[in-house]
Amino acid sequence: MGFELRDHTADVAVAATGESLDGVFAAVADGLAACSTDEIPDAGERFSLTVAAESREALLFDYLDELIYLRDVRAELPVDHRVESISGPTVESANGDDPTADPPWEVTATARGVPLAELDAREVKAVTYSEMRLENVADGWEAYVVFDI
Amino acid sequence: MSNSTFEAGDITLEQVREFVWEIPQKGDMHAPARVLASEALLEEIREDKTLEQITNTTHLPGITNYAICMPDGHQGYGFPVGGVGALDAENGCISPGAVGYDINCGVRMMRTNLTYDELQGREEELVDSLFANIPSGLGGGGVVEAGVDTVDEILARGVDWALENGHAVEDDLLHCEDEGMREGADPEKVSQKAKDRGKNQIGSLGSGNHFLEVQRVTDVFDDEVGEAYGLEADQIVVLIHCGSRGLGHQTCNDYLRKIEQQHQGLLNQLPDKELAAAPAGSQLAEDYYGAMNAAINFAWVNRQLIMHRTRRVFERVFDRSWEAMDMHLLYDVAHNIAKKETHTVAGDERELYVHRKGATRAFPAGHPEVPAAYRDVGQPVIIPGSMGAGSYVLRGGKHSMDLTFGSTAHGAGRLMSRTQAKNEFWGGDVQDELEDQQQIYVKAQSGATVAEEAPGVYKDVDEVVRVSDALGIGDKVARTFPVCNIKG
Repeated sequence: MGFELRDHTADVAVAATGESLDGVFAAVADGLAACSTDEIPDAGERFSLTVAAESREALLFDYLDELIYLRDVRAELPVDHRVESISGPTVESANGDDPTADPPWEVTATARGVPLAELDAREVKAVTYSEMRLENVADGWEAYVVFDI
Repeated sequence: MSNSTFEAGDITLEQVREFVWEIPQKGDMHAPARVLASEALLEEIREDKTLEQITNTTHLPGITNYAICMPDGHQGYGFPVGGVGALDAENGCISPGAVGYDINCGVRMMRTNLTYDELQGREEELVDSLFANIPSGLGGGGVVEAGVDTVDEILARGVDWALENGHAVEDDLLHCEDEGMREGADPEKVSQKAKDRGKNQIGSLGSGNHFLEVQRVTDVFDDEVGEAYGLEADQIVVLIHCGSRGLGHQTCNDYLRKIEQQHQGLLNQLPDKELAAAPAGSQLAEDYYGAMNAAINFAWVNRQLIMHRTRRVFERVFDRSWEAMDMHLLYDVAHNIAKKETHTVAGDERELYVHRKGATRAFPAGHPEVPAAYRDVGQPVIIPGSMGAGSYVLRGGKHSMDLTFGSTAHGAGRLMSRTQAKNEFWGGDVQDELEDQQQIYVKAQSGATVAEEAPGVYKDVDEVVRVSDALGIGDKVARTFPVCNIKG
């Protein structure tokens, strides 16, 4: 369980596995950090984030998008990811069709923010939907995400 | 020759004529796809998913004539890098994915009247001073740090804002597409998140393949056009390659997500979610166009601030004013962009959103949208090569309107993935070799970036330009070779 960086002509892909959905989300996020830097120093304070979206895949996309956003505005590279919880739609919200309702999927996570000044890091521009996969398999979850470099 | 074919796995390309290959329309394709390449380049293009991606692009509603892959095409996400897609502005769509994350990523070239002789011996001082003064890398800040009000002004007014604030001169505006201000820019359509990312990055290179390079002109192939562009052999020029930074990246993803939420029907017809498009005439298409135009202005200001700062660095190193060194903008080209343009299609004038992702506008002589300064000779096209291979200046060719909606290539095109490059090259070795063998002085925030951008990871830029020139979409004018290079 964890992640691997995969070849892609212009960009970098992360293939990740986890025993649970929480685990695979955190593994992809750790893969994103590994795309950014080869060595992660032991610095920085932990912070938490919460992201909501309308589907499981969209939640993974928005979680990674939020991490890239936070990197730029906090001037810290988020590393060492822990996903505390992921909640899915309840019966009421799944049956509801109110478009103004809160998105039913939500992830709560923490990460350690390493100040960019202390890193030899490169810029991952964005998470992409290209070839994205998030699948429930026999022994847990698998994900594949291409990042634009 | 007209009936030869090229087999690339499941895809068969039929040769239309020299350097023009067609993937015939079938299934859900709305048009054929075309690839402009020599057989040598096709051998490289077939190695990744470029051909599949250009075929997928033909599924976009309103695709006109054909989706076109430039000679430097390579795999991207959704749309290939080196792709041109003209989508009907009334009945088609506009696709944030087909513009790309780095909205108005592009290149500008600034002339000087210095010669290589005058610079030799000063390379180290110059590269150090550029590196110290031009923000680069992740979290390196920008030339200006601004509040959100300033970001809004930049988004609305582009280089006009830079002029008013002492970062530009009038002449800079006259040598930029749209005079550095894209009309129809709507700052309100750019999210707060995008603005928050952009406000600390105004005037910064970023990292990856973006760079600033001091170059010497090695060849002028066309004396008349070279003179019109102010280029001559041995002259020093400066090339700046970067885009709209986090503001553009965030804008792209904001709209991809909105499309997913609001236009699921159209999205489901497309073979790749990353091609996500908003139907022409929809509110979201209007909103994205306003936001994209604003991000285009942001990128122009970004390159302008870096260029103006470079003038100051040269002033200090060479101890004379930038005006005395004749440091004027030759031209600025965008190579990740969509633009509403009027083209003649089967005898009719049509409004099209021309998407150029890793492709450069290349309008020919006489076209009214070529700035007055170059209207007699054609629009300058700047093609950056890799660190060891040099770059080209082309001019829009007379066949570009017929063949490519007025477009040509944008660079050498990647050949090798970044992970493979890091296994094959070590940044320090690449840097030493460039300096010892080719007198190219490189300074980067990250050794890994140097390895990933090593000359060996790119296609042969000479071959890319040869095809562009032979097709008459972008004609060779001059070639340059690096002297100093800074990157993130």
